[in-house]
Amino acid sequence: MDVIKDILTFLADNVFGQVPILIGLITLAGLLLQRKRFEDVFAGALRATIGVVILFIGIEVFTGGLTSFQTVLASAMGTTPPKADNTLADFLADQGGTIALVITVAFLAHVLVVRLFPAARYLYLTGHLMFWISTVTVASLVTIAPGADQLTLVLCGAGFVAAYWTLQPLWMRPLMRRVMPDDRFGFAHTSSLACLITGYAARPLGSRDKHDTEKLKLPRQLSFFKDVNVSTALIITVIMLVGVAFADHGVVTKAAAEMDDKLSPWVWAILVGLRFAGGIAILLFGVRMFLGEIVPAFKGFSDRVIPGTRPALDAPTVFPVAPTAVMVGFVSSTLVFLVCLGVFAGAGWFTLAPPMIMLFFVGGAAALFGNVVAGWRGAVLGGVVTGLILAVGQAVTWGLYERTAPELATLADPDWYAIGWLLKAADPVVGGNSIWLVPAVAVGAMITTLLLLGRAEKRRAEADEEAAPESAAPAEA
Amino acid sequence: MALDRQLEILAVCGVGMGSSLMLKMTAEDALRSLGVDARVENTDVSTARGMSPDVVIGQGMHTGEIADLAPVVITISDFLDKEGLEAQLRERLTEQGWLA
Repeated sequence: MDVIKDILTFLADNVFGQVPILIGLITLAGLLLQRKRFEDVFAGALRATIGVVILFIGIEVFTGGLTSFQTVLASAMGTTPPKADNTLADFLADQGGTIALVITVAFLAHVLVVRLFPAARYLYLTGHLMFWISTVTVASLVTIAPGADQLTLVLCGAGFVAAYWTLQPLWMRPLMRRVMPDDRFGFAHTSSLACLITGYAARPLGSRDKHDTEKLKLPRQLSFFKDVNVSTALIITVIMLVGVAFADHGVVTKAAAEMDDKLSPWVWAILVGLRFAGGIAILLFGVRMFLGEIVPAFKGFSDRVIPGTRPALDAPTVFPVAPTAVMVGFVSSTLVFLVCLGVFAGAGWFTLAPPMIMLFFVGGAAALFGNVVAGWRGAVLGGVVTGLILAVGQAVTWGLYERTAPELATLADPDWYAIGWLLKAADPVVGGNSIWLVPAVAVGAMITTLLLLGRAEKRRAEADEEAAPESAAPAEA
Repeated sequence: MALDRQLEILAVCGVGMGSSLMLKMTAEDALRSLGVDARVENTDVSTARGMSPDVVIGQGMHTGEIADLAPVVITISDFLDKEGLEAQLRERLTEQGWLA
């Protein structure tokens, strides 16, 4: 028996606990299932593994830039920089295997649900968000139940995540139908809450016919901002320079000397801004590398099990519908965020770091849905809603992940905040050992929704059938 | 096939993770139907600037910025429209003499 125990311990420590190796093996299995050629299987699994290693390196660079940024800004504003006991890199090293397993188990469960319930309609295929949502969920579960073992975390996390993947495209469906009337694909993006709020709040503001953003002409100079690497480097650097101007000289000199003791604090500020952007670029490169292998494998698998399902896709797939609205949303969300940065810092609160990627994609998506409902005023509202959610979200959520990965609050989408706080709110009810209530409630809500939707659709189909012979008008879908 | 090597194709989007990956899969499908031997990669606009593929595919928001990157730049508005992309690829690759 000891031999079996030794083997299991070895696997837990060296395979399921080591995220690059585990992701490599999952990819290997996915590629083998697709019956790819040997060299493709081998190279693909290796690329996925290297991608994870690069992701870790990127996080370290990004975290270093973030710490300098917060130190300088806190000093300039006379506040204390936020402290954390843990970092995202540590958290991924510790729980990365759990996260990889949550993604895999949740995806299999999600495929099964879509196969069983026609009302589920959409298969969630936005790969990087599958990764981040699983990370946020595991971090939140670990906060609720610090002592939970890996199997409990995987099953509870996967149950909750599968329910989210199934329901999120469905609650976006009414708005999506106004953007993509042919309903060929759904919307799978963690900006969904900002989009929903905008979609409903924009109603009294106007109409798309009269105020469509696409009739506006924006200055060409704005266009370089949509390269998020450029806008991140630029905006963080400018804030750093302003921060250095107001910060305590001693603090800045000491921080600059840590990088290079001959360095001018001003040049150091520029380098920090560039490193911050560089770290995010490396992080994204790593994510891209392992997703490039895993997502096609997932898609190949689901195509075989549920042929012809509608996919739910990343936000930019709808951006061609209204590119001007996207720019309006990005600009307005960034402005609102920067105003919040000033106000919050003036009040002595948490030092915020503008998450340019989220301001672009969430702001853009919310503005696009705002435009569909109410034209350019709706688009501006989308940006404002996004800027506020991201700023307030960062400020209140950082502390939530103190013991796991506080960076999950810095570079985060609205739905991540909602998930974090939802699970945190479950804490007093659920408590340590009854963590199982989380997936039970989520899966219960999912099945109830799917049954109700399914019944409503059936009733509507029957009503259409009865009405058809009497009226010659085409049935409204 | 007038080209004696594998065609290098790049699908781009803003951050190079979600929608460009979808586009890559659509492009691979379209190329398979056309019978073209090609390697399709996906990336973000910044990284794309340092590459020299034969064909770039992306939405207008981005292809406008990198119009000189490759001999063939294809602008799409629908990431899943395999037939539309196939038609555009057929026309443009034939133009270049890469497809008979």
